[in-house]
Amino acid sequence: MRKGTGMGRLALSALLGAMLSAEAAAQSSSAPSAAALAAEIDSLKRDYEARLKALESQLSSLKAQTKGAASKPAASARPAQDNAFNPAIGIVLDGKYASFSAEESSIPGFAIGHESERAPEGLSLGHSEVTFSGNIDDKFRGGLTLGLGAHPGEATEVELEEAYVQTLPGVGLMEGMRVKAGRALWTFGYLNEQHAHGDDFADRPLPYRAFLDNAFNDDGVEVSVVLPTEVYAELGGGLFRGDDTPFGGSDNGLRARSLYARVGWDMGRDAAVRVGGYLLDGKSRSRGGGGDGHGHEEAEHEDEHEEEEEHANGDEDEDEHGDELAAFFSNGSFTGNSRLFGIDFRFAMAPTGNARQSELIFQAEYFWRKEDGTYMLVEEEGGEEHIEEFKTDSIAHGWYVQGVYKPVPSWRIGARYARLSPPDDAGIEHDPYAFGMMVDWSNSEFGRVRLQYNHEALDGHEKDNQIVLQYVMSLGAHAAHSF
Amino acid sequence: MPKRLAPALVAGLAAVAPSGAAADARVFACEPEWAALAGEIGGDNVTVYSATHGRQDAHYIRARPSLIAQVRRADIVFCSGAELEVGWLPVLMERGARQVVQPGQPGHLMAADHVEVMERPERIDRSLGDIHPSGNPHVHLDPLNIARLAVELAGRLARVDPGNAAAYRARLADFEARWAVATKRWRVRAEGLRGMKVVVHHAAWVYLIGWTGLDRVARLERISGVPPTASHLQGLVQRVRTTGAAAILLAPHDPGDAADWLSQRTGVPVIELPFTVGGQDEAGDLFALYDVTLALLEKARDRS
Repeated sequence: MRKGTGMGRLALSALLGAMLSAEAAAQSSSAPSAAALAAEIDSLKRDYEARLKALESQLSSLKAQTKGAASKPAASARPAQDNAFNPAIGIVLDGKYASFSAEESSIPGFAIGHESERAPEGLSLGHSEVTFSGNIDDKFRGGLTLGLGAHPGEATEVELEEAYVQTLPGVGLMEGMRVKAGRALWTFGYLNEQHAHGDDFADRPLPYRAFLDNAFNDDGVEVSVVLPTEVYAELGGGLFRGDDTPFGGSDNGLRARSLYARVGWDMGRDAAVRVGGYLLDGKSRSRGGGGDGHGHEEAEHEDEHEEEEEHANGDEDEDEHGDELAAFFSNGSFTGNSRLFGIDFRFAMAPTGNARQSELIFQAEYFWRKEDGTYMLVEEEGGEEHIEEFKTDSIAHGWYVQGVYKPVPSWRIGARYARLSPPDDAGIEHDPYAFGMMVDWSNSEFGRVRLQYNHEALDGHEKDNQIVLQYVMSLGAHAAHSF
Repeated sequence: MPKRLAPALVAGLAAVAPSGAAADARVFACEPEWAALAGEIGGDNVTVYSATHGRQDAHYIRARPSLIAQVRRADIVFCSGAELEVGWLPVLMERGARQVVQPGQPGHLMAADHVEVMERPERIDRSLGDIHPSGNPHVHLDPLNIARLAVELAGRLARVDPGNAAAYRARLADFEARWAVATKRWRVRAEGLRGMKVVVHHAAWVYLIGWTGLDRVARLERISGVPPTASHLQGLVQRVRTTGAAAILLAPHDPGDAADWLSQRTGVPVIELPFTVGGQDEAGDLFALYDVTLALLEKARDRS
């Protein structure tokens, strides 16, 4: 930095002089006072130079002082202790109060994992998160995120949400290219990349719960390239183990892959839009309900529940048949191919140009899933266990739209509607849907309190009215937000 | 698939990559004042893009897709630094993945690295609000800082675009001469403002206050980045009545409600200054920015 300034100063002096004399020469023919003017400018220049010099000498003497005795707090340079290279640490605290009108919540035709379950009733901790991140050297950056799931009545569950390395631009790949490897919240749709605490609602929308168990964070590697175009355009793709929902039970650790493309542009000075298309394709082998190894517990539990319901309601034969089929999808283990296709759209507008003051965000995503394979379900009949199979070649889809409006700096209101179409051969007539409204208040960028109301009609029998009061607060390092 | 993916990506890139004929340097400026300076020094040899406009608060900008695309193609990223853009610039740098604009490269120019930064906090804690550990980043309202950055920028442009180095040096010399004359004029006018008492909204004016000798008697934002509280404002009424003040200074992006509230109770007028190039229509370039700012302050002084 010092060198650059010095060079520039030299150039300045030389050229300023040359330029001034040229100007003086040009003017001397027309204006009689040109010499006087030149002298005036010259004196200004000297004046200016003198001030610059004085400041610079002040600065260097200050620096010399600092070097001599680093004891004064105001002037002391940071001592080079061992912790000087500690990674940035961020902690997210998340707590909830939830109240539900329905006792149970499940989505027939979809396996709901641990992550995407309804929050526990009453007071509970949500997902606390600890994040470490930092540059490894001039070429790589790394990060680690631990999710601490406090499920009431169970031991606290530590989940490795992210543990990744990624290239820095200094690595010398193609311009605009980035490679990320390890476990991460991969690029799929809008929300998947985001940490859930940054969401606009207390829970993920139905398509995320049904198709991704909230988020796809398999082990793998992803390459992305931002193209050198006027309009933002990014292409990318990845290769993954195939162990996280929508996949599971990877036999060779290379069972899933992704491709995506997205573009974005400004609409006038104060609004911007982004659209993307995503594909996630892979094979599963005995993927349990939920895909994270929780399948069996869940399955047994759900079985009991459904039997009860059937007795209580005394449903028609046809319905019973439908429920049986649905059980394969909700509780069975799946072996076969899954292909998930997604489109996302996001529009953000700040009426005054300052998103801090007021902002309107509109967001929508659509997921489409094709599954081709076999669901297997363990059934108990007369004290004997036997395995039933169901071959499927089905299409399921789901979407949500949401809008969030910030009328004043600290307050936001939002509404969301989500709908699912269960696998078409599961014999389920009812399309699960959910409507939510929220209002939240933020004292600063780092703390938020939210009240949310959900109306969920997931299984065609019972409607669930939910109230969730939530706080999300973060301390320490805070990653910059993406669009 | 990855074997097939990489060539596909490369082919895709080759198809859309510009043919490389445009020799101009591209400057990505985070704020309008640096865009204006880049325009002065770069002239028609540069293409300047400003990430923000004059009525935007550069603390809080979304890392819009278009900004990533611009950083991706930039030869110089010219920003205030000192954590002003910490909420969005890192995302642009990382996603844009442009090598010549990364920290340490000639294309990475942070204004605060090249001037004396004021208000470096002795204690850093989030309870103090959205503070900048490196000091106050709003360095552009001191003409001396502009002059220093003009020199630095000309050197950087000459490094990233050596073919036009002579043109950059010539424009720098021209700008320096005009700026020196103007600075002299402004200093004379500032003499007349010395000691004038002002109330500010955000700590955005320290550099202006520094060289003009204005006297800051109160601040509406008790904690940076947190809207003023009612009790704090109540306290300010008393203080401002006691000390007296000629004006409450507001930047175009500051919310006006707290300032209006205080103004009603104390009779001190609210003055919106342009703050940056384009902050008001009349402040169309750096010279006009200072001219308009001083004129508005003089008007406030004459009225009080």
